[in-house]
Amino acid sequence: MVLDQFSLRGKTALVIGAAGAVGRAAAVALAEAGADVAVATTTRAAKEEVAANSCANEVWALDRKGFAASIDAASEADVQSLVERAAAELGRLDVLVNAHDLPFAKPIQEVSPDEWRRVMDVNLTGVFLACRAAAAPMLSQGSGRIINIVSLLAERGMVNGSALCAAQAGVMNLTRALALEWARSGITVNAVGAGWTEGMGILADEDSRRKLDRYLPGKRLARPEEIAGIVVYMASDAAEYLTGQVVWIEGGALSHV
Amino acid sequence: MGVLDKLRLDGKVAVVTGAGRGLGRAMALALAEAGCDIVAAARTRSQIDETAGLVRDGGRRCLVVPTDITDPASVAAMVESAIAEFGRIDILLNNAGGATEGMGKPVEEITDQEWHTGIDTNLSGTFYCCRAAIPHMLRQGGGKIINVTSGFGLRGGRDNFMYTSSKAGLINFTRSLAMTYAERNIQANLIAPGLFPHDNPAMVEWWRGGKFVPMGRLGRDEELGPLCVFLASDLSSYMNGDILALEGGGLAGGHAPTGFAPVVPLEADARRGEA
Repeated sequence: MVLDQFSLRGKTALVIGAAGAVGRAAAVALAEAGADVAVATTTRAAKEEVAANSCANEVWALDRKGFAASIDAASEADVQSLVERAAAELGRLDVLVNAHDLPFAKPIQEVSPDEWRRVMDVNLTGVFLACRAAAAPMLSQGSGRIINIVSLLAERGMVNGSALCAAQAGVMNLTRALALEWARSGITVNAVGAGWTEGMGILADEDSRRKLDRYLPGKRLARPEEIAGIVVYMASDAAEYLTGQVVWIEGGALSHV
Repeated sequence: MGVLDKLRLDGKVAVVTGAGRGLGRAMALALAEAGCDIVAAARTRSQIDETAGLVRDGGRRCLVVPTDITDPASVAAMVESAIAEFGRIDILLNNAGGATEGMGKPVEEITDQEWHTGIDTNLSGTFYCCRAAIPHMLRQGGGKIINVTSGFGLRGGRDNFMYTSSKAGLINFTRSLAMTYAERNIQANLIAPGLFPHDNPAMVEWWRGGKFVPMGRLGRDEELGPLCVFLASDLSSYMNGDILALEGGGLAGGHAPTGFAPVVPLEADARRGEA
């Protein structure tokens, strides 16, 4: 039965960046589809910890196993022990979702090298660290699904977005290179290109938000759960032959000139 | 409603062109399994009759309409009979295509006839089907259009002109559909299948079993089923004008045809380290 192929029952997932709107929706959707789901923050900020805990509560409310961890996604030690804990507590690691979301916006002449490095360390190096840590359990299982979530900044430029644009474009092509490297090991690596979504970190400004509502082809932003559907497909047995792809879920925003 | 329930297509009607065999049949059957009634359109009656039998075995209704998608009148008649039978069209899967006439020729040898046949089959056919079906989707308050492109719609091919041009044309045609109808709740997206031999041993041989594909194998027709259901369902409600390529990783590298990508030699790095 075709719909059964989407079920994630018996699978386990780790979502990093689950305090953000998109990461949280992905974690909940994976749990709804039947997976046990561990979640982690992008940084150790207190409000992220609260959000990650509340995300874990939603996972438990669905009768799935899981835990919430407060980590700095740029820390090699944090990421390594997080992945080991997820594999140990959930029994295996089938799905890794990298939804790292450290927002940052500044004119480039005002960006200090330390700020630039921090954006790269979290949003790009953090994804590398997580993929590298997940390689051990996934390669030994002979299967795995890595799903990196980027935004339109990976593909199009944005004023004051130079650091984020560079980091996310990096994640996008890291996805393709890793997909090739692991193509014969049973691990698929794909990216989701999320369009402008309610609750996104870089959408603090009300004026931009109103303009997007007016100019987007469908005249509305995405709801976070609308980004999560493709994550479930990518994580499932149905997507065994899908690898190295960046799939955009952006309401047609990339269709216009 | 759980995330998996959003995949259900109960009570919906899908028009599938090229439904008589291969990917078209596999996707029609997957849509039917997810709950759709099917309008199976293709040139060859005997093949769509077979597809229809399989759809009906699964408990869904199926209307068989022999159709030449390169003929606007034939397409219009097909859509009219779909509406007469089911009253609505929720999903239009423009899968029919192909046309090998003139393939393998350099540009200076391609005849006018070969050019027009290639473009008509792959590009104009999809236009005719959209033109006929969209008014019904608008009347109903929305719909899903799924067009089938190819890796050759994104990249060129030696001695491959009508196919690459028409498949690339479909990508931008679909983006314009997305721009035009997003506010009226029609989502239009593309599937780009990689190398699918449809159980044909000659094709398996021709593609050498997929050994150049990064994943090391060719695609299986039934793998397109869930992808097509995803694109036809509420789960893809914000995906519009976009491509989902199912092809085992070829496009991620693709430094040479069929997805071959050279491996960066490790010793080169070692030499740089010493310098």
